[in-house]
Amino acid sequence: METKEKTRFKHLEKWESTLSACIRCGYCFEHCPMFKYTGWESDAPRAKLITAFGLLSGELEPTKMAADKIFNCFYCKRCEAACSSGVTLTEVFTDAKKDLVEMGLKGPGTTSVTYLNCARCLVCVKACPHEARFHGEDGIETDPIKCQACGICVEVCPAGAAKIENNFGTGREDLIAESSRFLSTHASAKAIVFACNWSYFPDLQASRLPESETHDKDYEIYVNMCAGRLESQLLMAPFLNKAWGVLVASCPEDECQHKNGNTRAKKLVESLKSTLERVNIDPARLQVVEIPAGDKTLFQAEIDTFIDRLNSMGPIR
Amino acid sequence: MIHQKGIPMKSVDESKLREIFGDNNVKTDPSDLYAFGSDSSVHHAMPWAVVRPDTTEQVQKLMAYANDALIPVIPRGGGSGMCGQTVPIYGGIILDMKRMNRILEINLPDVYCRVEPGVVDDDLNLALKPHGMFYPPTPASSRIATIGGEIANNASGVRSVKYGATRDAVLGMKVVMPNGDLVTLGAHTRVEASGYQLHKLMVGSEGTLGIVVEATLNFVPIPEYRCMGIANFDDLSHAGGAIGAIMSSGATPSMLELVDSVAIKAVNKTMNLGLKEVAASLIFEADGMVKEAVDYEINKMKEICTKHHGSDIKTSYDPKERAKIFMGRKKLFPALSKYDDNLSSTSLADDMAVPYSKMAEMAGKIHEVAKKNNIIMTAYGHCGSGCMHTKILMDTNREDQWASAKKAITEIYEYVRSVNGTTSAEHGIGLSKAESFKVEKADSLKLLQTIKQALDPNNILNPGKLMQAPEDWVTATGLRYAVHN
Repeated sequence: METKEKTRFKHLEKWESTLSACIRCGYCFEHCPMFKYTGWESDAPRAKLITAFGLLSGELEPTKMAADKIFNCFYCKRCEAACSSGVTLTEVFTDAKKDLVEMGLKGPGTTSVTYLNCARCLVCVKACPHEARFHGEDGIETDPIKCQACGICVEVCPAGAAKIENNFGTGREDLIAESSRFLSTHASAKAIVFACNWSYFPDLQASRLPESETHDKDYEIYVNMCAGRLESQLLMAPFLNKAWGVLVASCPEDECQHKNGNTRAKKLVESLKSTLERVNIDPARLQVVEIPAGDKTLFQAEIDTFIDRLNSMGPIR
Repeated sequence: MIHQKGIPMKSVDESKLREIFGDNNVKTDPSDLYAFGSDSSVHHAMPWAVVRPDTTEQVQKLMAYANDALIPVIPRGGGSGMCGQTVPIYGGIILDMKRMNRILEINLPDVYCRVEPGVVDDDLNLALKPHGMFYPPTPASSRIATIGGEIANNASGVRSVKYGATRDAVLGMKVVMPNGDLVTLGAHTRVEASGYQLHKLMVGSEGTLGIVVEATLNFVPIPEYRCMGIANFDDLSHAGGAIGAIMSSGATPSMLELVDSVAIKAVNKTMNLGLKEVAASLIFEADGMVKEAVDYEINKMKEICTKHHGSDIKTSYDPKERAKIFMGRKKLFPALSKYDDNLSSTSLADDMAVPYSKMAEMAGKIHEVAKKNNIIMTAYGHCGSGCMHTKILMDTNREDQWASAKKAITEIYEYVRSVNGTTSAEHGIGLSKAESFKVEKADSLKLLQTIKQALDPNNILNPGKLMQAPEDWVTATGLRYAVHN
């Protein structure tokens, strides 16, 4: 029970009692996209708080690996909603990031970066809901403290120069590959569902079912994080792989953690519906639904309704 | 680092671990190790490596290597243990079982399922639900707790009063022994009298005897009807009387929970639920396939509560009304955590069991000890199974508060043992409760150590827990708090 030596974490210091208040129940695990993707407990929100405590107490050296634990976060804030102790985790992470940046440890983690093919059109600067992107000395830069990894810059960039390199399975290519694999391996497959966070994911969270229980599954849910990062190519890909329909779930109108990710998704879906109509595909095969955080029952009901509708329409001919 | 048997430890051969598990399933960076040094307890210690098996063969290979090199191996599930069971106090390799998370078989005709240890409790129940079945031992941490961890701690929960604890649901298992041998224990049948029932010994052994790599579990039908009730009491002893009377009346509650005045105040303060601030409330439930049978049970419990001066009694079959009744109990855990910005909710003496007739006295004792030692403690729990929960709310950064907590715990456990209670009802012993455990089991400690020695002669499986735990848990292990003088 020795008093531990403090390091130079001036911003993190004010959270000392909060870090003690976390009872480490781990109820945050099931909602965290990092934990879901890597399966490593050391990537879960609780571990980030433990890391913050280690850095603050001096028990853990501020290395790149330790900093990455903090910088790898999508700021979906579902861990905060699930927290037994009411800890505002992302505020702790943001203050830890401030200290780490001052020490020269700035990620990128999930922070968006800009590739050399950037045309400096400033579309991303205008679109960023967190005012994290700016025109700096080296062209378009990202403030690693402000960036919340929503990915809206990636979606709006016409040159494909804005990237989130560490996307933990939420990148377009990953999702296209995964959804294609499901559609090609399940004869019963009809729909692909894209959801913006894990809190309303109604299926098994961290376990695998036997093949006998899944072989006749007619839909699969993929979590893409903020709906604002959905792209046309991703939403249309399942149709190329013989899906009967695509359902998009986003947060309700005023509840997006990234200000307007949900309205962006709605606009995109509306525009793609016109495209479907032009090629004689019923636009009802692409739907967007609003699901409040944590409402698994509503999400399941919306999926069931969508599948019923697809069943009445049949496959695309 | 010296092994507790006095044998100097060899360092971990990282290349050997990578050969067994592949690069993606081995962690040795301090930033990962630090996180794996904690669970939901007050303790912390650094492991030397973390590995993540996908197959039984990998577990066997690891154990063969660790046994030869005398390296401690600490199996770990969800990391939700509250007593430091997975904290590696002598270092070693954390064996993170979360990747062995397959539900292998749901066998309806034979009423069992086979699962790997990393399957999460809630996931198993989600998988059973379409078949009209559920796995009943479910603890409150079911959203994160794995079946392997629940077996290791003999976990139980609110419905254990009717359906039993994990030990009652486990029919058999496959276990990797400390030398790497794979053994099959138990059977796939409801009853077995073929020898020592070693699978039951594994339940509650806290990862010190073997590593469960597959479990065969019993499940039960989801009841058609569920009715919940609540009764308030102005005197704790009246609530205590009702508990004993219900349990000895022949009624079969599917839940019987006690919430004391401190708990009610905590929920009102943090959640603004507006619950009536009485000395105690009892929440009771009956379930079944026939409504008349459920009615019979619930009416019996209502009558007993009335007879013992219970008031404001109400019952309901409606799911929304049931949720309202249970809200105070459900919100208690977060309410205690949010009670005061300067106080942390700690799991220390938090799950003792006492005979039914002593439940009220136990709650009173908790209040008395808390007051004497200037800390906040509340009494609540699954009184139908004799389990009393309490949390100690204290400023964990103050050294004097730890001294007070330690004193309070000692007094509480002295009382528990004096009334023939037991140190732990459902969270296990680990490090935090070893002191009382060793006093309670004084005349069988040698026997326990003999069993441990026979199964794990090199003492590599989760050493330093249960009867091997250090004498003083506060000073012998690192605490996860910044404690100032």
